[in-house]
Amino acid sequence: MATAVVDIDFEQIPEQLSGLHKYTKALVLVRLRGRPIGQATFTVTNGRISGTQLRDGLLNIGARPYWEQYLHDYLAWDPQRVSGFVPPTATVAVTTRDRPEDLTRCLQAIRRLPDDGQELLVIDNCPSNDAAKRIVESFPGIRYVREDRPGASAARNRALREAKREVVAFSDDDAAPDQGWLRALVRNFSDPLVLCVTGLTMPLELETEAQEWFERHCPFGRGFKRFVLEAHGRNPLHVAPAGTSANMALRRCLLDTVGLFDEALGPGTPSKTGEDFDMFSRILTSGHRIVYDPEALSWHRHRRTWKELQQVIHGYGAGVYAYLTRSMFVERELSAPSIAWNWLRYNQVPQLIKAVLRRSDGKPTDLLIAELRGCLLGPWAYLSSRRKLMKRNRVL
Amino acid sequence: MKDFEVVVIADGCTDGTTKMLESYRTPFALRIGQQPGQGAAAARNHGAEIASGRLLIFLDDDVEPTPLLIDAHVQAHTAHPGHVVMGPYYPVLHSQGDFIHVAVRLWWHKKFETMQQPGHRYTYQDLLSGNLSMEAELFTRIGGFDPTIRSAGGEDYELGVRLLKAGISLSLIPNALAYHHETMNLSRSFQRMRQEGRADVHIGRQHPELRPILSLAHFGEVHSLKSLITHALAFNHPRIGDGLASLLFHALRLLERIRFRAAWHRFFGRLRQYWYLRGVAEEIGSRNALVKFLQEGPAHADQGGHEIEIDLSDGIEAAERRLDIERPACLRIRYRHYVVGRIPPQAGAEMLRGAHLRPFLARTDLAWRLLRAMIVDGATTQRPILIDGGGRDSIR
Repeated sequence: MATAVVDIDFEQIPEQLSGLHKYTKALVLVRLRGRPIGQATFTVTNGRISGTQLRDGLLNIGARPYWEQYLHDYLAWDPQRVSGFVPPTATVAVTTRDRPEDLTRCLQAIRRLPDDGQELLVIDNCPSNDAAKRIVESFPGIRYVREDRPGASAARNRALREAKREVVAFSDDDAAPDQGWLRALVRNFSDPLVLCVTGLTMPLELETEAQEWFERHCPFGRGFKRFVLEAHGRNPLHVAPAGTSANMALRRCLLDTVGLFDEALGPGTPSKTGEDFDMFSRILTSGHRIVYDPEALSWHRHRRTWKELQQVIHGYGAGVYAYLTRSMFVERELSAPSIAWNWLRYNQVPQLIKAVLRRSDGKPTDLLIAELRGCLLGPWAYLSSRRKLMKRNRVL
Repeated sequence: MKDFEVVVIADGCTDGTTKMLESYRTPFALRIGQQPGQGAAAARNHGAEIASGRLLIFLDDDVEPTPLLIDAHVQAHTAHPGHVVMGPYYPVLHSQGDFIHVAVRLWWHKKFETMQQPGHRYTYQDLLSGNLSMEAELFTRIGGFDPTIRSAGGEDYELGVRLLKAGISLSLIPNALAYHHETMNLSRSFQRMRQEGRADVHIGRQHPELRPILSLAHFGEVHSLKSLITHALAFNHPRIGDGLASLLFHALRLLERIRFRAAWHRFFGRLRQYWYLRGVAEEIGSRNALVKFLQEGPAHADQGGHEIEIDLSDGIEAAERRLDIERPACLRIRYRHYVVGRIPPQAGAEMLRGAHLRPFLARTDLAWRLLRAMIVDGATTQRPILIDGGGRDSIR
């Protein structure tokens, strides 16, 4: 059965939630004055959730942030304020490939962003028809760019080159940014060492088992507290906490210091994912910072069918190992193999054994196998992807 | 260009610097001084002596000022007469990924970042001499830099101690921006540590009350076998120590080549400690002398001082005004008859100002204790929302 996704403000908790007959559960995003502060899951009985149930559940989440806000108001204190800082203007870049329905939703959301002078850009990657072009034309003020080299990395690199503003905020076509998204992202660039800001990604819908499973086991969200990542005191190759490229902004000058996305990684290449991990780790190893800010909220439509989910999980396995392969051979990070080995040894193999022996209610066996297959393929996928890329570059 | 002059002091230059300067055409008045290698402190004092301006701006020779730098310093002194003003000078990297560069840059960024935070309580270690200005009259009154600290490093901290003791305020002005073209490598960094060790002994001699907070107090304790060995080598067997240090130095290079960051940082830290202690040993003689040196100082750095009590029920602005007038060393905070907490005295730090109050409350749990006092006192009417909601007290 499905889970409803509900958005509630802590200061306006409704008397009850009704009309949820389709659902057995509800995932509630709690906000305080528009700022996401937490999430809670409720059971739906007879299509409704009572007010008492809601208030009880939300109080646990909202009380502390609520009083913190009260204190900050009393002290006239804004923890994030940097005096004299004017946020940079941004280019919003949506990368898409043959998903007209998603793209329409995404662009509608982007049109709703408050106008701070941002430039809007759609990069259409290797389209099989002109559907995306026609959609973009129906939205005034959005520029359409077609990129014929395959892969999300190629599309993002194109966006970085096409963009005219200092910061490029990326959204995937299957995500719908919240109204405060862009402002929250750019505000974090006050620190000159910050080259990348990522945001909180919540599920747009949880209608199928595949979507519910994905949100439970590998959610995009990294919690409701802002944090800063840097290389100091941690291995900068561990970049999973940094968030996801479906919801991130980059400072364009990173082209000079860190370079472009590796076009042998990422969706649309044999490596399948990993381009974001690679970018994050290069940002950190070059001594720069990444900020995760939950106020930069975006809603992501997870894959609906189990078959697609298997492919996604397979792609994650492949992408991580492709990324580690790149770190080792290109960046000469000799600790990459040990990370790869530890992941296999302490995470995946034990999980698989447990699943086979039916000792846990964790990941189902088919997904684990898909992931493991991806991991084992990852290094070869990267090498072949790179060979292909070099061949293509020679032809061009 | 008419209302400022530039004074260059060539300190022990043998490369024709003076000759170059004499034939150098400038749109501003240029004065040149020469001295036979007496160290940065003496050179700056020399410069101040022959300068004719009312305001002195000290710039190191590897600091590149931005065009607005002088204006920014002058404006800051108009706005805050009698202050000591600094501008940030961010290091310019000549390589991207070197571990030492990444570490050094992060150190400088963090330094300027903390100093720019609202309500930062300046300490003597915030006195940085690379981009520094004060009125000539103040410089003379305070006695200038201490020329007996011959090496570069430490003479600025020592001046900081005297300025703060005299009740002078420091401020960092972001607009007085400069760039630091520092040649930084491993051996230079260790040389710095050695100089810092010597300078710290000097500071401890001049200002015995600071002995407990100098690095040598912390490094002076032997708490593990490794630090015992480091001590024995630095104080009793410097020849063997230097040999081992040079071995470790090569190991660092190897670790960097294979990109093993964690091990690199461990070795790097150990070597820095060794060179710092070598500096201390050179200045003080033996380990026993160091122990005696520390024992003769106070056991705790925070010796109290002028302490006042404020009542926040009179309003936070009133409390801030009182702090600005009285400038106490420490502060007891109450809300009517409820005790909220205390801002302790801090050796080597400036006296409290009004601007310190809100950030201190907001960043520590004192704010929560204040909130509790306010609720118990009935000063906030916000509470019923939560009582209705769940009947739980959220603050505990």
